[in-house]
Formats: sequence, C-alpha cells, structure tokens
Amino acid sequence: MSRSRNIQAVLIDLSGTLHVENQATPGAVEALQRLRATDLKLKFVTNTTKESRRFLFDRLRQLGFKIDLDEIFTSLSAACDLIKREKLKPMLIVDDAALEDFGDVSRFEGKPDSVVVGLAPEKFNRPCLNEALRLLLDGARLIAIHEGRYYKTSSGLSLGPGPFVKLLEYAAGVKATVIGKPNAEFFQAALKSLAILDPHSAVMIGDDVRDDVGGAQQLNMAGYLVRTGKYRVGDELKIEPKPFKIVDNFASAVDNLIDSL
Amino acid sequence: MIVQFESIFFRQAHSRSLNSFFAAVYTSHKRPLTTMANSVEGVKGLLIDISGVLKNGDIVIDGSVEAIKKLRQANFPFRLVTNETLKPRKTILETLAMMSYDFTANELFSPVPCCVDVLKKENLRPHLLVHPRMVPEFDGVDTKDPNCVVVADAYDHFTFENLNNCFRKLLDMDKPILISLGIGKYYMDDDGLALDVGGFTKCLEYATGVAPRIIGKPSSEYFMMAASDMKLNPNEVMMVGDDVLHDVGGAQAAGMKGALVRTGKYKKSDENHPTVKPDIVVDNLAQVVGYLLNP
Repeated sequence: MSRSRNIQAVLIDLSGTLHVENQATPGAVEALQRLRATDLKLKFVTNTTKESRRFLFDRLRQLGFKIDLDEIFTSLSAACDLIKREKLKPMLIVDDAALEDFGDVSRFEGKPDSVVVGLAPEKFNRPCLNEALRLLLDGARLIAIHEGRYYKTSSGLSLGPGPFVKLLEYAAGVKATVIGKPNAEFFQAALKSLAILDPHSAVMIGDDVRDDVGGAQQLNMAGYLVRTGKYRVGDELKIEPKPFKIVDNFASAVDNLIDSL
Repeated sequence: MIVQFESIFFRQAHSRSLNSFFAAVYTSHKRPLTTMANSVEGVKGLLIDISGVLKNGDIVIDGSVEAIKKLRQANFPFRLVTNETLKPRKTILETLAMMSYDFTANELFSPVPCCVDVLKKENLRPHLLVHPRMVPEFDGVDTKDPNCVVVADAYDHFTFENLNNCFRKLLDMDKPILISLGIGKYYMDDDGLALDVGGFTKCLEYATGVAPRIIGKPSSEYFMMAASDMKLNPNEVMMVGDDVLHDVGGAQAAGMKGALVRTGKYKKSDENHPTVKPDIVVDNLAQVVGYLLNP
C-alpha cells in the first residue's frame, strides 16, 4: 500500500496543458487562480528548446494567466545552467532564437567538448550531423535538451529533437545526458527550487503521458494526465504504473486536486 | 558530386579512428592445416564482401583476382555481397573491372535490387529516401499511394524535410512498414567519418515506434536471399568478410559459416571479439579459396 499523500507542490506543463497555441484550455485561467488561493507551491515546467523564459512569460500573460517570470522552469535554461556549471564548450545544434539564451557559452576557443541538441530543423542535415558525429567519436559529451519524439505544427506533426538525439546515439555508440522531462534530475531541480525535498508530496499535471506523467511518477510524484494538447485516445495505456488520474483538462485536474486536500 | 562518388570505397567502416581503420595486415601464429581444412568442410558456395576483401579503396588486395579466377575455373558458386547503395550495380562492376575483376551482374548481390524484388513480390509501394542517382534502379516499382518507406544512404539528401516527409508518410499508414537498406553506423568519407544509413533509420524508428526491416548485412534475411540465389542451403555457404560483426556474425546468425580475413579494416582484436567467433581466420581471400579448392 502506498502511503497517503500530503500534497505541498504542483508542477504544471505549459503547452498542451495550460494552453494550446494561442488559446487557454477551457477554464484554465480561473483554475490557476483557485490553485493560487491554496497553500500549494507552484512551478511551471516545460520542455522548450527554443523559446526563452521571457517569451513564454509574455505569451502566458497575454492569455490572461497570472504568473511570475521566476515560476517558469525550462529545459533550455536548465541546459544553459549545466553548460555554465561544468564549463563546457558546446557545439550548439539549437534554433538561432535560442543562441541568445546561451550567450557567452557559444563563444570559446578551440574544439568543442560537447554537442547540445535542441529543436533545430534547419540544422538537422547530414553535414551538421556529421560534424557532431566526429566530435562524439572523439569523446565529446552528447547533451539532449529533451527527447520529444514529435510536436504539433500548423502543417501537421513534425519530428522533434529526440529522433536526432537517437540518430547520434546509435551512430556514435554513446548515451545522451537528457536535460528536460522525463529526466528525474529536471523534476528534482524544479522541486528543489520550491524547497520540496520529498517528490511524494508533489503533483505533475501534463498532456504528455511519457514525458510529464511517466517521468514524474518514476520519481514517486502523482501524475495527472489531461486530455488536451497532444493527448491521443489510449495514451494512458502507454506507461506503467498508469497515470494517477486522467482528467479532461487542467481545470478538472485543479478541482480534483483541491477536493483531495 | 565528385566527393560522394569517391567516398564509397570506404563505406561500411565502423572503426573509431583513422589509425584503426587502416589497420595493418596482421599475420598470426597459424593453426595446423588440417584444422583449417576441417573448418571449411561442407562449404559449397561462398559469399564475398567487396571492400576489404577484393580491394582497399581503389587498390586490389594481393591474390584476390587470382582467387576469383580459380573459383570460376572450378565452377565453385559464389556471390559478391555488399551493402553499397550509393552506386548502381553497373558502376560497381565497372569499378571492379578496372582492377581486372570480371564479374557479371548476377554475381553481384546488393541491397537495392534485392529490395526491388521484395517490393514487387509483396506488393509494396515505397516512398523512397534514397540518393537521386539510385531512383532509376527502382524503375517498374509502383510508388503511388505508398504503403512503406524505404531508406538507403541518401548522402546530402538526408535533410530535415526529407526525413520529416518519411515520418509523416509512416504516420499516415494503417500498417506502417519501414525498410532500411543496411543499418551501418558510419564510414570513412573523403573529408572524414560520415553517418551511414543506420542513424537515420533509428531516427525514424524512435519517432514512429516502427521497427525497421533490414535488407543488407547483417540481416539474416539478406544472407538467406544470397544463399538461395545460389540454390544452396545456409549450412552449405560461407561468408568471407573483414567485418567480424556484420559479415561473420551476420552470416553465422543466418546459419552459415563465417570466415574473417586479415585484410581491410581487420584488427587483431577482432579475433577475440566478445560475441562473434569466426569459423576460420585467414590471411586473405586467396588463402580460404586455397583450402576450399585443395582440401
């Protein structure tokens, strides 16, 4: 029997959960207000490889969400932190928009000692990937900002960074360090920033059954799967243990959570 | 385009550095001749790798031209087995002819013609991600309303757009089929090591969850097709190659014998490979042909 949960913190996914493109999910703005009226600590965790925290913040404010810049925790900023902390000299396979966030780390002398992969369709081509291969075969470290399989675009689903990380892993015979969800360290860092030490007292709400719900539950958090965003019928069967709760949307998750307090 | 034309001489390399890639021929302490002859007993046909067995780059390997002549004089069946998908069959034969080899098209077993047979036999209509120069090799194959995706080394045509098209085609299929012509990791290209088809196939496999069907070494299906092309059972066939894992290990997994040659990318450590134990290790093709024809 699992011990009963004394919920103290909630981690919330952004795209697909709070909003889909430029529209808030039904009742999400008000639901976030209700959640703020509780004592629960909140953090917004997202697997972005391109958009800066400031960009995400501006978009959420425009959609009517009350949110602070400091509450947003992204895989992109976590990757920047790792590179600075470990003084790496990275070859950056990231979107040009993200280069800004990396700032000084993209300027160094000599040969790169690491390869950082984000979502960069214009760089996912043979010459660029060959350059990465050669660095990896010479011992460079492979870092994946996240391993998302695909994402939704206006023209349909498109390959995410994950498939290109797998390409390099297979060819070079290496294993990537994964920064974003579903990596345990990413959730742990988000919880640590809220001064939460026991993941058992935290909840994750998201639309990605593997990266949001599965990842959080591996750490013993409770995972709420919402049926918005990239959710497809049957997603809940893709992970074991099954999602803690499956709900229509973010607003239902909040209601359910408040009722259980 | 000149660059990519030359590059194929170094394909199928999986070594980690230039030094080990150009491994020197190593002559080991030889086992008694009787043991050697015993390990080729029952072999009625040979499968022969091209790169590293017949030639290194554009240089003939000593004794190989004569060895092929002897096989032919003895009417001993053989097929060349390659994973080459960047050059049409005709071009491969012309390259070998410049080195005094006289192979015919039906002696050359390569993934593209094999794949064409499979597509026709199984009513598969491919969406192709191959080098444009190879597209004519698929003439006569129905490519309308695709029900499978075929990926080969497409060289600089491995772009995001082309890969994304394959991904979307696979998502649209009721029963998606992904066919990969070989699954190599990387090879030596003119300007350094370069990605082989394998990584690109893994890219699509991870995105779609569709496990690839491999036509090319080291897939058993491919070795079996080459054996049945000689009308022989797998246990009557021996593969001769310089890649301990893909040539020797692949053939053994298909129920054949595997001979490792000490030419091409051979390294001394290949003789103590953790998972593959060759049936016989020989200095070169000429030596194993000698054992076969003069038991």
